[in-house]
Amino acid sequence: MPAVQDTIDRVRKIDVDQYKYGFQTEIAMDKAPKGLSEDIIRFISAKKDEPSWMLEWRLGAYRRWLTLDEPTWARVHYPKIDFQDIYYYAAPKSTPGPTSLSDVDPELLKVYEKLGIPLKEQEILAGVQKTDVSEFEEASDNVYKSGRVAVDAVFDSVSVVTTFKKELAQAGVIFCSISEAIREHPELVQKYLGSVVPTSDNFYATLNSAVFTDGSFVFVPKGVRCPMELSTYFRMNEKNTGQFERTLIIAEEGAYVSYLEGCTAPQRDENQLHAAVVELVALDDAEIKYSTVQNWYPGDAEGKGGIYNFVTKRGDCRGDRSKISWTQVETGSAITWKYPSCILRGDDSSGEFYSIAVSNGYQQVDSGTKMIHLGKNTSSRIISKGIAAGFSQNTYRGQVSAHRKAANARNFTNCDSLLIGDQCGAHTVPYMEAKNSTAQFEHEATTSKISEDQKFYVMQRGIPEEEAIALIVNGFVKDVIQQLPMEFAVEAQKLIGISLEGSVG
Amino acid sequence: MNMHTQPQRTPAETALIDAFGERLSLLPGDGAVMLKRDDAIEAIKHGLPTRRIESWHYTDLRRLLNVVPDFDLAAAAKAISPIVEGSAILPVLNGVSSAKPPVIEGVTVQRLSEKLTDGSVAPGLDPYGTDDAIGALNTAFVADGYFVDIADGAELEKPLELQNLQAGGQTHVRLLTRVGVGAKAVIVERQTGEGAALVSSVSQLVLGEGAEVTWLIVQEQPDTATHLAQFKAHLGKNSKLTLFVMNAGGKLVRQEVVVRTTGEGADFTLRGINLLAGDTHTDVTMVLDHAVPHTTSTEVIRNVVTGKARGVFQGRINVHQYAQKTNAKMACNTLLLSDDGEFSTKPELEIFADDVVCGHGATVTEIDHNHLFYLMARGIDEKTARGLLVKAFVAEVIEELDDEAIVEALEARLDDWFLTHG
Repeated sequence: MPAVQDTIDRVRKIDVDQYKYGFQTEIAMDKAPKGLSEDIIRFISAKKDEPSWMLEWRLGAYRRWLTLDEPTWARVHYPKIDFQDIYYYAAPKSTPGPTSLSDVDPELLKVYEKLGIPLKEQEILAGVQKTDVSEFEEASDNVYKSGRVAVDAVFDSVSVVTTFKKELAQAGVIFCSISEAIREHPELVQKYLGSVVPTSDNFYATLNSAVFTDGSFVFVPKGVRCPMELSTYFRMNEKNTGQFERTLIIAEEGAYVSYLEGCTAPQRDENQLHAAVVELVALDDAEIKYSTVQNWYPGDAEGKGGIYNFVTKRGDCRGDRSKISWTQVETGSAITWKYPSCILRGDDSSGEFYSIAVSNGYQQVDSGTKMIHLGKNTSSRIISKGIAAGFSQNTYRGQVSAHRKAANARNFTNCDSLLIGDQCGAHTVPYMEAKNSTAQFEHEATTSKISEDQKFYVMQRGIPEEEAIALIVNGFVKDVIQQLPMEFAVEAQKLIGISLEGSVG
Repeated sequence: MNMHTQPQRTPAETALIDAFGERLSLLPGDGAVMLKRDDAIEAIKHGLPTRRIESWHYTDLRRLLNVVPDFDLAAAAKAISPIVEGSAILPVLNGVSSAKPPVIEGVTVQRLSEKLTDGSVAPGLDPYGTDDAIGALNTAFVADGYFVDIADGAELEKPLELQNLQAGGQTHVRLLTRVGVGAKAVIVERQTGEGAALVSSVSQLVLGEGAEVTWLIVQEQPDTATHLAQFKAHLGKNSKLTLFVMNAGGKLVRQEVVVRTTGEGADFTLRGINLLAGDTHTDVTMVLDHAVPHTTSTEVIRNVVTGKARGVFQGRINVHQYAQKTNAKMACNTLLLSDDGEFSTKPELEIFADDVVCGHGATVTEIDHNHLFYLMARGIDEKTARGLLVKAFVAEVIEELDDEAIVEALEARLDDWFLTHG
């Protein structure tokens, strides 16, 4: 059945402007001059007080970047980016970095409060018995308040504060901004940085290597199960800036860590660039669970403005029996270009990728994963749910490969797309490459609209049409939602509801 | 063609360009045809496609095509018997069509060389895209083939078998077929021969309203031959096309299938079997456009990979924005039987209409151990049991064809392959 006219009209009027994190905050900023050159990189490095090896590493990446061409193979279209028209460094004044929350600019804390991440309260509330019922209710309203989650808050180019550091340190876990890690733990950074995503990897990753300004660093030592969820909250505030964050997570033998990132940005007419690199390293028996709730500003109803989200994320299951699991809920960004991957190097290692990509308005999503099976008895699982509405284009692009020595490699891939309205597109481009006869790969993909039978079944029970559709969509993405840490699952579900508002809900 | 300027021509590219210069005066065609040939060779001068061109991702033609034999006009190809007894045969021997094609009621057969000379087929010679290397190669060099017109309402009792038989050297053949309103036919395309040939073969089919055609491509080139083939079809209103492709030979093989539904109610079925042995590189690439509403398609490809063979299946289903109510399904199943073999597959869906049901599935695996155990527990030795299972895996696809004579004929070809490669 074609979408009912009513739904189409609603999609047309789609209120992307209801993006509720679109506010902007006036904060005194310290910026590098516009443009990109070796001098700018030296400036960033000096601002960060980095050792000389780091500067050399950056300059090496920059020289490499100059020789690279922008990739064009993805199904996304955008005007050419002028890389000289971007501020590569913007930091709230009042640096050097605060040592405690009381040193943080109150304006900044307000930003995070508005975003529902009251860093201050959270740290105070932690360990304090909540007796007041109303307070409790209010607290459970937001996941960041209810659970004990250590947060690293990144504002434009710098990390402003990291909570729960002491308690984490007691467990031996290092959780800090990457700039701090470069200064405090250079041996770890030097050993692992760029070992999963080399500086020469691809256009945007190389750019990131040259100019990254901050991000999170997590190190979980041997045998430690990280005592709480870790989280980074990225906020882009300043005009014309690009955000280039770098995250490095290392789980030593037998360690476990669950990490969540969230992101928002103000509403602006011009596009902003976000090119991040995330590297995960899991040694023997280690497990890393990485979840993303991506809610960058998607642009307005006409497709004006919004974030270009060009991200390279890769996990390396370096040790035997290690496990890396990616879960992503993608609802924001004008353009998403992102393929969180797993290199299954260790024997018996496993990789997982769970994704919900919702696109509406004029959003373009080209996302998926790569599962590279190198070790013996490796397994991977891909569950991808794409929902396209409005005038958006939603592409799943994934690769599964088994190399010669990857005996008994096992993959299961399922990607389903749901189309809402006849102006959008859903595409599936899976690559499957088997070079070992004991490999067992299965792939299935479907594209459809909500079936009449399903809708009839629900409506027959007295549920109005729009609600019925919302219910079915929630069922459609359930497999992935289940993979999110429980506190965030609720948030993600709400987010999907908001993104599709006007088209289904 | 490759948009990047190639730093240096490969020997194969040079050989093709030189061969064009030498052959030019012998190629049939009026002014319009010759202009198309010039355009086509220009495209080749820009370089053969590499893996950087998405549609050639798994078949780097520039790297893989390393030998281009000279034309051998003196060579003689031997005629063979048709797969279904009593078929009318249209032979193309070493690239040359027969001066006296058989007379069949309701069918007009003309030599393509004549149609090239009078220029009437010029409009159809354009490659279908910038990455259409096979189309360009064929357009540049095509010298002969047939133009077959099946009259409105004609129902052919016996299959029509086109035999493209090479005898080493180069052959570039084209077969144009128009099937009239309500006509019915079974057409067999045989691609075989002896020698280290470079073959390019393009078949174009236009189905009129309500026409029903079963088209079988049986490719059994020797393991020295390079076989670059293309099958293009337009499906009119309520027409039905069943295409069966069997690849069981060749050194470097690329079979492209380009189908477009142009009338409502059209139905397309593709069944494919790729039997890969030795060090063959065989690529089947399909692009299916559902361009109008209410059309259906199903594709099933079964692959068996042995030895050092490399296999590729790329299948793209495009559903255009107005093609509502499309129902399209595609499956690609592979048995990878050797550690030195490899198989890559890329089943794509590009969907711009919302009221559709589309799906694809792909699997790569070895023989199911439970199945093997079941047979061996009944006293069948392992080798025989494996043979039975592999054969059953591909034969399943043949059995779906609804014509006893054809099923038997194809099973015979299958047995032939298992006999030599068992």
